Amino acid sequence: MTQYLKVAGILFAICAVAAICLGFINEVTAPQIAAINRAQTEAAYQQIAPGFTFGEEREGEGVVSYNIPLSKDGKIAGYILSLTGGGYGGSFTLVAAYNADGSVLGAKMMGNSETAGLGKKSEESWYMKMFAGLGGDKPLPNSKNDLEDPNLVSGASITFGGVTKALKAGSEYVRNLGGK
Amino acid sequence: MANMKELTKGIFRENPVFIIMLGMCPTLGVTTQVFNAIGMGAGVIFVLLGSNIFISLLRKVIPDSVRIPAYIVIIASFVTIVQMVLQAYVPALYAALGVYIPLIVVNCIILGRAEAFANKNTVVDSILDAIGMGIGFTLSLLLIAAIREIIGAGTITLLNLSETTRIVITLPVISKSPVRVLTLAPGALLVMGYLKAYFSWNSERKAAKGGNV
Repeated sequence: MTQYLKVAGILFAICAVAAICLGFINEVTAPQIAAINRAQTEAAYQQIAPGFTFGEEREGEGVVSYNIPLSKDGKIAGYILSLTGGGYGGSFTLVAAYNADGSVLGAKMMGNSETAGLGKKSEESWYMKMFAGLGGDKPLPNSKNDLEDPNLVSGASITFGGVTKALKAGSEYVRNLGGK
Repeated sequence: MANMKELTKGIFRENPVFIIMLGMCPTLGVTTQVFNAIGMGAGVIFVLLGSNIFISLLRKVIPDSVRIPAYIVIIASFVTIVQMVLQAYVPALYAALGVYIPLIVVNCIILGRAEAFANKNTVVDSILDAIGMGIGFTLSLLLIAAIREIIGAGTITLLNLSETTRIVITLPVISKSPVRVLTLAPGALLVMGYLKAYFSWNSERKAAKGGNV
């Protein structure tokens, strides 16, 4: 019995020291990480929807975490949505700006665990430009074969499928909002 | 001299990837670009060094029956510290390495060296073992990544922190018609298989000549 208690005590002590060290590092780094995340999100909004006035954040539903109305000349002209999708490395978050008719203005991949050199390409600006203007009169692609150059997303078809599915869901969500 | 052997054995004689065959998951997964190999290698060297030092220091304290959970706690703590510090102070590098940082926890090389070496040897020897194994792992990743990226994409990515912070050498002929399968998962297995075959042949050849294997 004493032997078991001794072993448990040593393992507990190792875990406790590790937890204290991690707690201390977390305390130091958490505010910095939160500030970086805020700055990155705000920069993404400016990048995907330049020239608009941003409204208050509103709660979304389904794959849409929240929406932010975009105004121009006092009228709602579109929305920014935070979308959750599924990629090769698990779920990802992307922010997308839409016109009120559901067509994509711009999008940016945010938190993700996609493979570097393959799915990670979705973080680059040229990647999301493939979807700009689509989702309204012109449909979003169903597969990479609908692209002019499918080789651009070779090796990362699952990421591409996940991004397309999320953007389609966002487009439908915006149309259902009906400009409100 | 004996210490130098601990340092150099991981590079060729006991290379973790091609001889001991440890750390196969990250080896196959991250070697799509040369830069990934550099980042993963640096992360593994740091964690291996930290975990080897602490496990060697605590080798007489940790009971044998709970050594594996204790090692995992130490290794996971080091990896989490690396992850938090990079995310807070070098976000570009954190974003570039992405999922590979937490993957270091399950890299068999780290636990393998803790179990096979650090818990039986002094701190100095454990440090040399960590550096040698880490360099051997990094060089192996670089070799595989270079072959895959050069033939599979016609490029050599030396730095890839963002769209504006990037150093990519584009090779003139092969970049026009690369063998794309090498950048995909089957390509990793093909390259690994051929390199393993070469290293096995080389070891046997040396053994036949009576040299050290």
